[in-house]
Amino acid sequence: MEVSFHEEIKALRMGDGEVFHGEGILAITKGLLQSGVSYVGGYQGAPVSHLLDVMVQAKPYMDELGVHVEACSNEASAAAMLGASIHYPIRGAVTWKSIVGTNVAADALSNLSSPGVTGGVLIVVGEDYGEGASVIQERTHAYALKSGMCLLDPRPELGQMVNMVEHGFRLSEASNMPVMMELRIRACHVRGQFVAKDNLAPKLSKKNLLEEPASFNYMRLAHPPVTFAQEKRKVEHRLPAARQYITEQGLNEHFDGSDHRHLGLIVQGGLYNTLIRALQQFDLADAFGVTSLSVLVLNVTYPLVPNELVDFCKGKSAVLLLEEGQPEYIEQELALMLRRLDIQTPLHGKDMLPSGGEYTAEVMAQGLLKFLDRHQNDAVPIATRQWLHTNGERRQQVQALLGSPVPARPPSMCIGCPERPVFSALKLAQQDVGPVHIAGDIGCHALATFEPFSFGHSILGYGMSLASRAGVSPLMKRRVLSVMGDGGFWHNGLLTGVQSALFNGDDAVLLIFKNGYTSATGTQDIINTPTDIAKELAGDKRQSMVHTNQTIESTLKGLGVQWLRTVNTYEVSQMQATLTEAFTTEFQGLKVIVAEGECQLERQRRIKPWLASLLSKGERVERVKYGVDEDVCNGDHACIRLSGCPTLTLKDNPDPLKVDPVATVIDGCVGCGLCGENAHAATLCPSFYRAEVVQNPRWHERLWARWQGLATSWLQPA
Amino acid sequence: MTQPISILLCALGGEGGGVLADWLVDVARHAGHPAQATSIPGVAQRTGATTYYLEVYPLPHSQLQGRLPVLGLNPLPGRLDALVSSELLETARQIGNGLASADRTLVISASSRALTTAEKMTMGDGRRPEGPLLDVVAAHSLRHHVMDMAHLCQQSGTMVSAIMLGAMAASGLLPFDRSHYEAVLSGPGASAQASLRGFALAFDLVNRQREQAQYVEHVMKPAPSVAAASTALPADVAAKFPLELHPLMSLAHQRLLAYQGAAYAQLYVQRLQGLLAAESAASLNESKRPVTLETTRWLALWMAFDDIIRVADLKSRASRWTRVTQEVKAKEGDVLKVYDHFKPGVPELAALLPQGLANRLLRWDRARVARGLAPWAMPLKVARHALWGMASLRLLASLRVLRPFGSRYATEQALIEEWLDGIERATRLSPALGLELARCGQLIKGYGSTNERGKDNLLHILRHVCGPASAVPLANQAEAVARVRQAALQDEAGQALDQALLQHGAPARPVKEQPVLWMKNPRLQKS
Repeated sequence: MEVSFHEEIKALRMGDGEVFHGEGILAITKGLLQSGVSYVGGYQGAPVSHLLDVMVQAKPYMDELGVHVEACSNEASAAAMLGASIHYPIRGAVTWKSIVGTNVAADALSNLSSPGVTGGVLIVVGEDYGEGASVIQERTHAYALKSGMCLLDPRPELGQMVNMVEHGFRLSEASNMPVMMELRIRACHVRGQFVAKDNLAPKLSKKNLLEEPASFNYMRLAHPPVTFAQEKRKVEHRLPAARQYITEQGLNEHFDGSDHRHLGLIVQGGLYNTLIRALQQFDLADAFGVTSLSVLVLNVTYPLVPNELVDFCKGKSAVLLLEEGQPEYIEQELALMLRRLDIQTPLHGKDMLPSGGEYTAEVMAQGLLKFLDRHQNDAVPIATRQWLHTNGERRQQVQALLGSPVPARPPSMCIGCPERPVFSALKLAQQDVGPVHIAGDIGCHALATFEPFSFGHSILGYGMSLASRAGVSPLMKRRVLSVMGDGGFWHNGLLTGVQSALFNGDDAVLLIFKNGYTSATGTQDIINTPTDIAKELAGDKRQSMVHTNQTIESTLKGLGVQWLRTVNTYEVSQMQATLTEAFTTEFQGLKVIVAEGECQLERQRRIKPWLASLLSKGERVERVKYGVDEDVCNGDHACIRLSGCPTLTLKDNPDPLKVDPVATVIDGCVGCGLCGENAHAATLCPSFYRAEVVQNPRWHERLWARWQGLATSWLQPA
Repeated sequence: MTQPISILLCALGGEGGGVLADWLVDVARHAGHPAQATSIPGVAQRTGATTYYLEVYPLPHSQLQGRLPVLGLNPLPGRLDALVSSELLETARQIGNGLASADRTLVISASSRALTTAEKMTMGDGRRPEGPLLDVVAAHSLRHHVMDMAHLCQQSGTMVSAIMLGAMAASGLLPFDRSHYEAVLSGPGASAQASLRGFALAFDLVNRQREQAQYVEHVMKPAPSVAAASTALPADVAAKFPLELHPLMSLAHQRLLAYQGAAYAQLYVQRLQGLLAAESAASLNESKRPVTLETTRWLALWMAFDDIIRVADLKSRASRWTRVTQEVKAKEGDVLKVYDHFKPGVPELAALLPQGLANRLLRWDRARVARGLAPWAMPLKVARHALWGMASLRLLASLRVLRPFGSRYATEQALIEEWLDGIERATRLSPALGLELARCGQLIKGYGSTNERGKDNLLHILRHVCGPASAVPLANQAEAVARVRQAALQDEAGQALDQALLQHGAPARPVKEQPVLWMKNPRLQKS
């Protein structure tokens, strides 16, 4: 795993009164333990990966508490886990990246929500929305509405977030509804503090097992005819129960305004801090959140409590609703409430704020400006208007200074990444067989969509690449390539792609990156991760270990894949040849190329301490670095167009006669060998060299080297 | 109303931006101030650009009577107190987003660049000029400290995060003293010591404001021109040429002496003389000789064309061995092995043979390719450190004396002549056109396909964009040549080039015959 949570695990043990300092998502994790959760599951993905990662690493302590932790194979299996709470008074929590994870989990969530739960259920979703997001921009809110799950959107202050976790379980039990908690990216990664409570060892746990299964109860099944009754129950019993709990516990916070109390702001809890910062720019709030307008903070965004909202709006001269994302579900419901009760308070929202996109302080400030201009324009200081105005001007001035926009800097594959050589090979292969339609997938390999490769015609979802070509390849003259990581393969590519292609006898080409981990989410282990024993036994810790786990190969053979090739990713020429063969072979069925090369992050994590220990013991260590001869390099940079490695970059040409910058390999090169492979496979210029530095060489090595040194120096000119 | 101090940290994935944010939060905590940090890493940890946002309350808890400030999660454009960045382009990017402003923001930035892929992959020089980036920093900051953080990192053997912390500490941005910061950094490990070293370096650097200012000027000053280079031109040669040509010519002359000997260097001088005469004739009243000056460089580089012989010579030099030893940081007592990657193909070998033999060899290879085989080539890993490898390199290098009898030599000389004639002819018509043609020498570089491509493009310009057969009106030719030359450096496939050609009324390049292995799909053949 990429991150080690050694310190954080200690923090999870904190008791009453101790002050927890750390990341938001870890505070949530602590909140789960304080709520006496019995089981936790989920699937990794930013921004919530750390929740599950820390629990997995804290296994000894979890066993102590009797908490079961399951690293699920995908979000659907995580959601299905929650079935435990349908019959039994067990509290459970799962987590994943939303919207995508929620999409995958949707079926189980519907079937969970219909019968409802007895034990509290909390679904912690990372709302991957706005700057820094890596997925489609959609709202998780829709799922809460359609399936009848509560949706918490807590004010991003650690104390409040943990508080809402504890309430979440009680709310779930009070209403029999599953409860979702949405956390935006910045809230997950916020560094703050809160006063901890003791953890509750769950009443029912791995240490204190259920005696008997529950008695058969058809009402607990999501199966007709009871599904009809269940739908009624959602509306007639569960929603009212939830609203009652929300009101009684005062989960939503109402701050009365001072000077302009007659103006109301309604805001999703998660946006509260940003709203306050925006109001401060109008001198309408102080540093501690005391505002001159009245504010209603919705820490629960579904279900809404009509009385609460109506009471807030009644008697206000105008109300502005700040609701991020679209469609504006809350605004629509609120408008309907007011209309039905014929309350004439002007309601503003998306008419003054952008319908899509992240609500940053500047965006909110522009909305507030419109709102105040309409209803209280004396409340807007000149300075504020100027500030908002000059922001635009400044941006234009910088553009003028810079001329063209600065080049983008998207993420790229790591130094020495085993996937880069495959795309070099693919680039070369296409020079022989012509352009190929490439069905892309989710994972590190999706970074090949950026320069210098710009590969991939579509990305239809995690593990979907092979399935997504099923409509293309039968209608295309040339064969289609589907690229998939082993993470995506196990997440669902095996079933949606491979099984379907085999069943239909499709003429398809699948390339699986077998790097041994779900690397893009933080190198979490999966079923084909090399075992610790294998890593122990390896004499040379530098070598890739993924070949020691054959689960993918045996699975494919078991399913009946007949054309299966395994290629070491760093052998560019062979990969090129194998790709060409797959594109041109007589064989009609599914052709699978397993590109084998362990995730470089994991390898380096293993190699660095190992080499350090060898050196400290004065033992022989050989390190490899590639380099470019500055006087031989021709300044054409073809090598870079074929690699894109961060350590292969440019420097000024040392030759005063030449003008173009030359390629150079900077520190950080891990000697993966791609440069040399490309130099050969693509017949690049002969400027690349491979240097092997032997530290603590053996005596005969040193002697031999010295002799050769003498001999060569006698031959070499100055 | 006291507002929080807001700080945006910009870093590239893997540079420890998260660590820096944590340090700052800890420093504030130890000093008893409310503080909050957040970030949007996503997959940016994979070397992409990312930011971290912090807010620190200027008053300590002790003065707040238990009240807690509400701290923000997004930076406010124009209301940022500090923008701290480990890379110059990223600094400019964030300023471009409107975050920094001249009335409020302290900008601490690295002067060093980590080039983006887009900049690196261009065929010529695609690097962003640093001048405008630095202008942006200067124009949109209240105060700014620009420093070579990469250098400070190497000096102290630490990550850039420690450097950034040191700079911030010295800037007096936050109400904490040096001890607060060092307390957070200090630890038993060697890495902690390195961090402290880096911290101190940056701290002192920022304290030295004046030198800082000078440093920026130094960064903004263009690199020293070739004029600085030593002038070792034979007196008789020097006499024939105006002074402005001497610096470049002396370098060129030396290059060609080393490349092929005195006679060849003499040939170079003659060729330039011819051109100089033509230019002088064309522009009598003018004192400057821009065409000849431009040609001086490109002619020398073309005449010293790269081939196996030259590469072998360069690779076997002692100076090169020392350079590699330093580059790979091999220490005393280490054993260094250096392997050179060669893949000579038929063209490279044919280049050394007389025309007749060369043609036969090439024909044989073309026949191979026609049969669907790959062109013949011999991948080699020559062990530069071993006697055998060294001996073979020297053997190759010694073929230098035979070079003039090789087919490549003949071809190159012919093309050079055609180019020079073209320039002369053009110069007589219009010096501007001559200058542009001279600049086209830039297209010629490298080995193998790169070199072939360059020559084809140059010839196409000579024969179709200007010259008697050209369809482009003379008045537009200079501008056309310039545009086409730039286009030729844009993409390997030459799409930009063809577009530029057609735009200026010149024909696109003829389609080159290239063996294509048609991807037959059996499924379709059966049906």
